[in-house]
Amino acid sequence: MGPEKRAIDMLTLTAVLLPPLLASGLAVLVRPYRRFVGWLGLSCAALSFLASSRLCLEAFSGEMRGQRAAGGLWQVDSLSALLALCIAFVTLLAMAVAPGLRRSDDADAVQTRRLRIFMSAFAFTMLVAVTVQNAALMWVAIEATTIASALAIPLHRTKASVEASWKYLLLCSVGIALALTGTILASFTAGETPIGQSWVALRSTPLSLHPQLLQLAFAFILVGYGTKAGLAPMHTWLPDAHSEAPSPISAMMSGVLLAVATYAIARWKAVVDASVDPTFSNALLIGFGLLSVAIGALSLVIQQHYKRMLAYSSVEHIGLVTIGLALGPLGAFAAWLHVINHAVAKSAGFLLAGRILYRYRTTEIASVSGLLHVMPWTGGLFATAVLALVGLPPFGLFVSEFLLVQAAVANHKMWLAAIVLLLLLIAFISLMGHLNRMLYGPAPDDVPTGERASWPILVLIVPVAILVLLGVALPKPFSAFIHDSVASLLQ
Amino acid sequence: MSGLFSQLVTLGSSGMLLTGLIVLWRKGIPAYITAYRWQSWLLAAVTATIGYFGGDPALYWVAGLLLIVKGMAIPALLRAMQQRLGIQWKIAPYVNTETSLLIAGLLVLFAYVLARPWVMVSELPTRTGLPLAMALLFVSLFIIVSRRKAITQVIGFLMLENAIALLAAVGTYGVPLLVEIGVCLDALMAFLVMQIFVYHIHETFNTIDVDELTRLRH
Repeated sequence: MGPEKRAIDMLTLTAVLLPPLLASGLAVLVRPYRRFVGWLGLSCAALSFLASSRLCLEAFSGEMRGQRAAGGLWQVDSLSALLALCIAFVTLLAMAVAPGLRRSDDADAVQTRRLRIFMSAFAFTMLVAVTVQNAALMWVAIEATTIASALAIPLHRTKASVEASWKYLLLCSVGIALALTGTILASFTAGETPIGQSWVALRSTPLSLHPQLLQLAFAFILVGYGTKAGLAPMHTWLPDAHSEAPSPISAMMSGVLLAVATYAIARWKAVVDASVDPTFSNALLIGFGLLSVAIGALSLVIQQHYKRMLAYSSVEHIGLVTIGLALGPLGAFAAWLHVINHAVAKSAGFLLAGRILYRYRTTEIASVSGLLHVMPWTGGLFATAVLALVGLPPFGLFVSEFLLVQAAVANHKMWLAAIVLLLLLIAFISLMGHLNRMLYGPAPDDVPTGERASWPILVLIVPVAILVLLGVALPKPFSAFIHDSVASLLQ
Repeated sequence: MSGLFSQLVTLGSSGMLLTGLIVLWRKGIPAYITAYRWQSWLLAAVTATIGYFGGDPALYWVAGLLLIVKGMAIPALLRAMQQRLGIQWKIAPYVNTETSLLIAGLLVLFAYVLARPWVMVSELPTRTGLPLAMALLFVSLFIIVSRRKAITQVIGFLMLENAIALLAAVGTYGVPLLVEIGVCLDALMAFLVMQIFVYHIHETFNTIDVDELTRLRH
């Protein structure tokens, strides 16, 4: 493992991180908006995606493992690479579907420019958050995600969107401040280890001098990052922000931002568990997770807006992921697989919801009828995404939810498995009811019907194909890679 | 020497908590801004004291940074915001003054209970500042939830950040400089964005009373 090898690793990581930053800068500089900016931004996202795939290969094939022990600032392990891949993929998808690429888009140039600036900046901050191997700098990056995304929500300065973004900004800033408190409290107990240490160093140094203090620190961290992850009861900003944001931003927030916050919790859980008995952290995670699944599923029943419906479904799914993290290695495997599946399905769902909103000009479920007739392609794909989100086979979420319940049973928590299954059933019934109302029935008179298969819609077939692939035959190397991600939290 | 050090830190931390409490019984926005400015100066002073007695010169830089960003720049921006909006001077809180102070007293007690295990195990001469920092943290959270003007929520958030900075200073003799700079810049960015949003709220709703922000339900 010579110095040349290290140089190659850094090059890959640079290729992951730098393109979104450049794209954002370019969008800032070129004024007014030109279409080539959009295309260059898309190319940057594609480059970042390719590089993150390469990062996964490098992390997995063990080229970096020899250096893991050293624990430098940018030594990426499999879990980081996995999250980076998800972020880069969702960003690429969102950049391809966002307005501003085609002449026929009649989007406002000023708004398109701002959207493009914030999308790339948002992607950059998320990528930094998952790749930097330092607790304090990760905090800085996650705080920056709030700033980058909050500015993008009130793109059309409506009362509802200003209100949603204020709530989001204030609640998440306070939440993230609590996470910083927890980070500082944890570093008190670390004694000689300041918070500038890498994750590996934090895990390998015994912090167990004062278990009580470490548990309190974890409680602060969980509530703090949990606010950002949309865990109930701190989730109140989420349905507002996700439903009012422009669809590409919604897709990124719901698809991967929640996963980034969950990643922060998982990293800290590994540090705390290395020092004190995991019973406490597991109980906290299961408590918050179960409450989120319950609130998400029950709120779905009374939803009248389809974008809010997708948002509450995110609360439910992030709750499932949190429960998974508390159920040992099998549960953690299910959790990360669920994160991938959810990122793919939910981002596709929000991007398609954006197309529906563009045609129908309303977010009310009751006003959207005859979707399959009005927009055959969008309607069909939207139905597929929702079917995937309710956990039907042959889609990937069925597999991860199945594994999750299996993990609960394996941990002798039959009651947990039973409650989760019941709540999933409630979510299933209500989502199917809403979907049914949207797909069929007579189309409203003022909505033009018909849709040709243009390339943005063809792009959205890709996530559906991935979901089927992950559901029917979870590829061996892929599942081995997730196993490796789970393991990178244990060693 | 260590006795003087400890007393100075306790004095500074108590002063910071006191500025947080002052906010609860004063009603005008200018008083809020003045309280915040004093609090930031005290924070810089505590940090510099720890740098002097703890023998860590890097903390002087941190203290200087805090003084410029939180003690001067942000209060000036707050003042500009207040003047530009021509803010309605009196602020009517959700919770009246007497109840607010009572709740604040309970929060301070709670902070002492919560920080007790730390103070017991810690050997730092600055440990007496820990419960005070925790108390300021809870009082700031209370300010955010009980005051309904957007600008008072922002000041509550800024005080929350001061509390965390105090906690870091008295608990660990400050965090590494690089991290401190990152945190400070983030705080400034967050504040600037919040400022933009206060203007947005003022423009779209014609008030900065967050009571008006009730369009989104379910």
